[in-house]
Amino acid sequence: MNAEPNKRDMWMGLVRAELLKLFSLPTAWVGMVLGLVAAPALVFLSAGGTRKAITEGFIRDASDAAFQPLGIGLLGALILGVVVVSSEHTSTGEDSPGARQLQATLAAMPRRGRLVVAKAVALSLIVAVQGVITAVATLALSGMVLGDLVPAPSPGRAAAAVLYWVLMGLLAYALTLIFKSGIVTLTVLIVNISVVSVSYLLTKVTPLAAYLPDIVGPQMFLNQVGDVRIAPATAGVVMTAWVIALLTLGGWLFDRRDP
Amino acid sequence: MIAVEGVCRVRGRSRVLHEVSFTARPGRVTGFLGPNGAGKTSTLRVLLGLDRPQAGRALIDGRRYVELARPLTVAGALLDGSGAHRSRTARAHLRWMAVSNGLPAKRVDEVLEIVGLTGEAGKRAGRYSLGMSRRLGLAAALLGDPPVLILDEPVNGLDPAGIRWMRAFLRDSAAEGRTVLLSSHLMGELAETADDVVIIDHGEVVANGTLAEVVGEHPTLEDAFLARTAGEGASW
Repeated sequence: MNAEPNKRDMWMGLVRAELLKLFSLPTAWVGMVLGLVAAPALVFLSAGGTRKAITEGFIRDASDAAFQPLGIGLLGALILGVVVVSSEHTSTGEDSPGARQLQATLAAMPRRGRLVVAKAVALSLIVAVQGVITAVATLALSGMVLGDLVPAPSPGRAAAAVLYWVLMGLLAYALTLIFKSGIVTLTVLIVNISVVSVSYLLTKVTPLAAYLPDIVGPQMFLNQVGDVRIAPATAGVVMTAWVIALLTLGGWLFDRRDP
Repeated sequence: MIAVEGVCRVRGRSRVLHEVSFTARPGRVTGFLGPNGAGKTSTLRVLLGLDRPQAGRALIDGRRYVELARPLTVAGALLDGSGAHRSRTARAHLRWMAVSNGLPAKRVDEVLEIVGLTGEAGKRAGRYSLGMSRRLGLAAALLGDPPVLILDEPVNGLDPAGIRWMRAFLRDSAAEGRTVLLSSHLMGELAETADDVVIIDHGEVVANGTLAEVVGEHPTLEDAFLARTAGEGASW
């Protein structure tokens, strides 16, 4: 009954459990659906403006125009990254306000380091699939809507965009591990992306700020981000380093804290 | 077999547990008794690897809980609440737990049947009554058919029929050879169910033995309990 499972079965079990958790959570579906429909929808909504911007020369690099709508779909990846942690901390009910799902999770998967990794893998898988579908749909739509105005998108850039999504999902996950709160993480990320980009303002103070995650990340697949130009491969390496560093910190805090 | 050995835990400046030692043996129901805040839940949390002790260790079948590769097949635990996210259905909750420990999907239906939730398995856990939540928590504890059961205040929130059901269930589990450790602050309940009793007060074990040994000369377990935690209950 208590036979030691082999390593592969053990990891498969943990990752599959985390996938099942996400698929059985309504909030996670919001993230999945939002990620899938937001970017293609934006292509249609912004088609007129984008066409005008290209013909009047506001968009210096027309190849960016097809990729830019992908940014909004990122919200889905961020929501998934947050939910994968915040759902563990939600109170299970009014009857026992102190009880959290995390207790059941740690009863089933008591090694916290492994749990953090399993969650990261499950999240990456979902966001990657979501990213591929969205990127293909968005780029195909852009081609149809904008026609000859944009050059055919290169597969390499599309792959980089998907990788960026995965890394941003993981970043949201790491931040939620650190803050222990989905609200704080989403507020920080959404305000920074949509209202005022603190990172962008910082680039006006020091060019080093261009290496902050939300500025350096889009350089993986966009040519025209802010004033500092960073090569896509460099941007990918810097972004990955940010995610690894924050995940390490988040995992360490998660391991130390009492649930 | 559960062995708690010299567990000490300090939280901030307050001493939560001091040199807590006891064993719970297979085939017996061990009652873990103490006033609210005495350290019962803290001890169980250390046993389940949720909190770390500053000294001592708590072992299940000779190993720390976090070292168990498929813990649900070794020990089942029922803590506060159902453990399920409130917007997930009971079946979905049990399903991911089963998968995480390599247990077959049919086991989910079996435990739902055991606790009598088959008809309500598609409901979201947040819509469950307190009694149903406890049953769902128990179903999760039973998923791996574990030889050890660790239950924190299992009859809390149950109606009289539920209490009777739980009592019979615990007795049957011990009769099947399982190690059953349950905490409670209800003396009458424990006197009906437990073979062995451990009394904890202010984070220290003050009595430990068979029910008869702990009751001793006192007329009831309640009298024995109050005698050992004397003076402290006067806050009424």
